[in-house]
Amino acid sequence: MPKRSSLPSLLFSMAALFTASLSLAADKVNFQLDWLPGGDKSPIYVGIDQGFFAEVDIEVRINQGRGSTEAITRIATGTSDIGIADIVALLQARAADNVPVKAVYSLLSQAPHAFVVKKEAGIQSVADVKGKKVATSPFTSSNIFLPLLLEKNGLKESDITLVKTDPGALGPMLITDATDVVISWLTSVDRYRSQAKQAGTELDVIPWYDAGLEFYATSVIASERFLKERPDVAKRFLSAFHKSVEFAFANPDMAAKAVNKKVPEADIPTAITTINSMRTLVYNSVSEKDGIGTITPERLQLTWQATAKAQNLNVTDFDPESVVDRRFYMEQ
Amino acid sequence: MNKALHRYLPILALLALIPLWELICYLANVPNYILPRPSVIYDAFINVDKMRWLEHLWATVRVAVLGFLLSIFISLPLAVLMVQSSFLNRTLFPLLVIIQSTPVVAIAPLLIVILGAGEAPRLAITCLITFFPIVVSTTTGMLSTPSELIDLSRSLKGSVFRQIWQIRFPFAIPHIFSGLKVGITLAIIGAVISEFVAAEKGLGYFVQFSTSYFKIPQAFAALLFLSIISLLLFQTIRWIQAIFFAWSLPAEEQK
Repeated sequence: MPKRSSLPSLLFSMAALFTASLSLAADKVNFQLDWLPGGDKSPIYVGIDQGFFAEVDIEVRINQGRGSTEAITRIATGTSDIGIADIVALLQARAADNVPVKAVYSLLSQAPHAFVVKKEAGIQSVADVKGKKVATSPFTSSNIFLPLLLEKNGLKESDITLVKTDPGALGPMLITDATDVVISWLTSVDRYRSQAKQAGTELDVIPWYDAGLEFYATSVIASERFLKERPDVAKRFLSAFHKSVEFAFANPDMAAKAVNKKVPEADIPTAITTINSMRTLVYNSVSEKDGIGTITPERLQLTWQATAKAQNLNVTDFDPESVVDRRFYMEQ
Repeated sequence: MNKALHRYLPILALLALIPLWELICYLANVPNYILPRPSVIYDAFINVDKMRWLEHLWATVRVAVLGFLLSIFISLPLAVLMVQSSFLNRTLFPLLVIIQSTPVVAIAPLLIVILGAGEAPRLAITCLITFFPIVVSTTTGMLSTPSELIDLSRSLKGSVFRQIWQIRFPFAIPHIFSGLKVGITLAIIGAVISEFVAAEKGLGYFVQFSTSYFKIPQAFAALLFLSIISLLLFQTIRWIQAIFFAWSLPAEEQK
């Protein structure tokens, strides 16, 4: 009965084939962005383009995002495994709702918030904005920290006139003197600069980290499920991601091209400017001391204190350490 | 001559706006980041690869048309049910008003969490925005059927199906088409809103991308594209009515 005897061997060879194909297939990881693609998101794109993830047997799929909160939700619900978001938003989300998401790597060790002013206005420090008109977009996370910034610099909220308006209107308002100061992320400052250039004027930038606001911002975050079920993939992913970050800042042009290759809407010159303008947020005294990616308990505590204070939360009600998992990224 | 002029009057009116717009921007020296001139918008349009435009265009049209068809598929049976049963009419209608008056933008993030990151939330958002005028106009149309005709069909023991299909529907056709015309323009709005919230392609996504990088002329080019699609889709509904239901048009449009 040849048929009967061949069945087990057939099954066996099929099983062998199946396991072989399993071991050959790369681990698939869904990566969540916190906003639309651009130079600031280039590490993940350049990592794929240069094959850093393929080297560690990982196949990355990128999901674009619309804000940190959305990114956290999508990772929490399992649409994505790992991604980037502001650690401040994660602290808030965990303090309020204990979402199953953890921070595993710090990308921006300084917060990107800044004041942008016209050079001729003579505003050189945060204290100088007293009595000035300040414009901001309604939904930026910078707004949360404004009162704290003012307080640290001896000002009150009533010392300034705050206007909330559409992000697209901020640049034109500054140029036409409808406002004296605009709140912006450092990564967007160059867009205001190009508008100012068209109007024949120059801008100055006052980063808030120079005025007493010292904390982490954009970080790599992952779902607890992903970390628990695929710890080895998480480790390999983070080592490749770290390599990608270093490569992106060493080769901004190649990083910009990698983004443009996948997303043609993101043009190369703008992406290069963005990468260069965020360099100081990644490479600074903090990352020099602790290493890029590292989340230290002390600075995390500072981040939580600032968040709690800005949001009127009780600092002692929540332990920021519960937001971090340090087992997956070791400084190389 | 007069007749031809009359026919192309809408297009001519739109075309006349372009030099006027260019002139006003030029004279008032309006910067491009506030209101770009048509010539600058044209340059921005040319600078984007044709295939990119087609990809975005196709994504938006696809969501708008599929979402619109889905809403017709839901609205018509719903209207029939509401006409046939006063119980359903009284229970469903407040619900529909609540759904319609809830700002879709506010619940869009929830829809993504519930329906996933694919095309489903975009179709749902488009459908949610378009279905209401179609349900309301269809219901109104079917209820406007003269009661004598309904009584007659009952006395002749006509089935409910025939009553709806052969009496109520023909009476409702002009109403249904006015609902469809409102619906199709809303479908484009719905598609764009859905792309603002969750998409990696489409004209709405492209507008959002352009404005977030301060490329205002490029955003305007996409907006003009959206208006053209709206006009074409609207016209398509009119053509369908004129070809298949010419009798339902007002006398002056039938000529």
